[in-house]
Amino acid sequence: MVEQLAIDLVEWLAGYSQLVASGLVFSSIVVLGSIGLALVYSVGDFPNFAHGDLMTVGAYTAVVVNVILGFHLAIALVVAMVATAFVALGTDKLVFRPLQGKPIELLITSIGVAFAYRALLLMGFGPSSRSYDVGGRGGIDWVRETFGVTVTPRQAVIVLVTLALVTVLHIVLQYTTLGRMMRATAENKDLARVSGIRTAQVLAAMWLIGGALAGAGGVFLGLELVVRPRVGFSILVVLFAAVILGGIGSVYGAMLGGFVIGMAHEMAGLFGDISDALPLLPGFGSEYGAAVAFVLMILILVVKPSGIIGGKTSA
Amino acid sequence: MSQSDSTPFGDRLKPALERLFAAVGSLWLRYEKGLADRYETLRGAQLTGEERRVLAVVGISLAAVVALLALNPVDAVVPLPVPSLTVPFVVSTLAIAGMYLLLTLGLNVQWGYAGLVNFSVIAFWGIGAYSGALLAGSGSPHELELHPLYGLGLAVVLSVVLAVAIGLPTLRLRADYLAIATLGFSEIIRIIILNEEWLTDGGLGVGGIPTLLSTWPFSLTEPVMAALANLTGAQPRTVFDLFLVMAVVLAVFLVLRRTQLSPWGRVLRTIRADEDIAQALGKNSYWYKMQAFVLGSVIMAIAGWYYAHHVRFMTPGELEPIETFYIWVAVILGGSGSNRGAIIGGFTVVIILQGTRLLNETVDWILFFVTVDASALRLLLVGLLVIVVVRLRPEGILPPQREHIWPGALSERDGGEDK
Repeated sequence: MVEQLAIDLVEWLAGYSQLVASGLVFSSIVVLGSIGLALVYSVGDFPNFAHGDLMTVGAYTAVVVNVILGFHLAIALVVAMVATAFVALGTDKLVFRPLQGKPIELLITSIGVAFAYRALLLMGFGPSSRSYDVGGRGGIDWVRETFGVTVTPRQAVIVLVTLALVTVLHIVLQYTTLGRMMRATAENKDLARVSGIRTAQVLAAMWLIGGALAGAGGVFLGLELVVRPRVGFSILVVLFAAVILGGIGSVYGAMLGGFVIGMAHEMAGLFGDISDALPLLPGFGSEYGAAVAFVLMILILVVKPSGIIGGKTSA
Repeated sequence: MSQSDSTPFGDRLKPALERLFAAVGSLWLRYEKGLADRYETLRGAQLTGEERRVLAVVGISLAAVVALLALNPVDAVVPLPVPSLTVPFVVSTLAIAGMYLLLTLGLNVQWGYAGLVNFSVIAFWGIGAYSGALLAGSGSPHELELHPLYGLGLAVVLSVVLAVAIGLPTLRLRADYLAIATLGFSEIIRIIILNEEWLTDGGLGVGGIPTLLSTWPFSLTEPVMAALANLTGAQPRTVFDLFLVMAVVLAVFLVLRRTQLSPWGRVLRTIRADEDIAQALGKNSYWYKMQAFVLGSVIMAIAGWYYAHHVRFMTPGELEPIETFYIWVAVILGGSGSNRGAIIGGFTVVIILQGTRLLNETVDWILFFVTVDASALRLLLVGLLVIVVVRLRPEGILPPQREHIWPGALSERDGGEDK
């Protein structure tokens, strides 16, 4: 009975394997974005509404290196990660640090920062959309033959690089001194400082790491979709849904939440198929990816506000 | 009732108007005095020295901008690189400004009174606007063409229902959750209005929205409006809408000021300052926050409903999240929690918005080597204003007077007992 059910489920899912494949790609982008958001949330104790636009900064840095200067996209990715990391660190030093300990003020300020990023990008690059100067738009043949799914080399690179970055982050967090200091600081900043950890430096490291991952996420966002000034802000709701699903402030929660929300985002069309079968519900299409993520977030807030891997719920 | 033939109409009107103003004025004074007697916070309604200085700086700089624009007629000997300010432009700007003032007052109830971070101002505004547009507009896909009041009813009902729906899961949690949820809600309302063509005609927009109160009292007051329109060069409808919206703003302002002084307002301010204290005093803070959230959202929906009937054409493009933050800038600039501040902040932001529209040519002229998009410039200006005001003057231009309860986060200025 259970086996039969499992087989049915697998067969049913196989029909949607293309959705799963594109879900994996989008999940990768969401994971990269939400890790940085969760890191800042855990130490800075505020939701950084500028994080989406930080991803856009990364995407445009890669445009400069790849399209304007003509380097390979791999170099552009590295440059974008470094540049975005330092933009994040600089913003923290200049804008966020002086407001430390005032979460509401930080929250409102971060919106101002988001608009400032986007306005500067708009002034520099104009409102039109751009794309990277790199091939890899066609599907990979052997994947199509084996799995019956179209995956472009671009998408494969996105998933593999994300896996590599997440693995490196895991190793850093678990097995290095810096990682232990970061976890201690996130857990209890005062206690960490008393124990002799230089929390200011740890905080800077977290901004750098979060910024670098956001930069990579932004480049991938531009690679998968197009580079527009609004591309990062549009994904912000999805990032927050992922962070809340995983539990605010938890990095591993953000990874899990990013995966789930990314999948759900791409499955929006599938939800649409289900609702088409039920005549009472209005049908809807893939443009409601953000809406599906949002509804999942609200459900989590109702059922378990601390998220899957418990985070902070009260001030 | 026959008119005397010797005295012209105007001469007899003047004493009558004077009497009317005197009567209203004395009623007003009595009302103010009654309030002041009862509430210490209002006693001595004169401004403090600091407030006077701040107001003077703001007033002088605004007057300078207005003077620069006004003293720059098209046929000046040396025309400044600034387009001139015409009276019809001012009238139509003020008619829009009324809408911004309503939004600012609404957000002040949520953020200023109760400390609720609502990032979906424009969504509630859009709900109100589309309620009016879809029920009354001749370009609506439903072809109902109902009286605008039905739209108002729908706007109020929808905004109440949706505000409660967002508030239920988030108001129990800490403030960030409401901020995140409302930002998401705002995006989703925009996506729905953009994509559900059967409901809203999507990106095409809804046209043919009728004007408000077009049979009565507009037709009744039409001679007066026409005279004023002649005087100002604006459309009679615009003049009428200006009066209408300012009347609504005044009514909302008075009601809100009254509620702020009431026990209800006091509980809200306590919640904002320290929710634990409010709960320790036996107040159901969740319920109070919900009331403030709903009240503010309804005011925003009414503002949207007015706007749809004023400009008579609605598109989803007007629901960009940036609009929400114009209102945020207005509230924190004016002084969170203060209704007077909300009005001043609202006007300031309208001047900034219209100013960037006007000054765009100037900027092009100064930075002729860089072409700067007006919308990008406005985005940057709003972003920087948020950052700068929160950092340098978190209490705004006109903070609430003699606030007994003030949030810990903002109390350092008074050498307060922060944390």
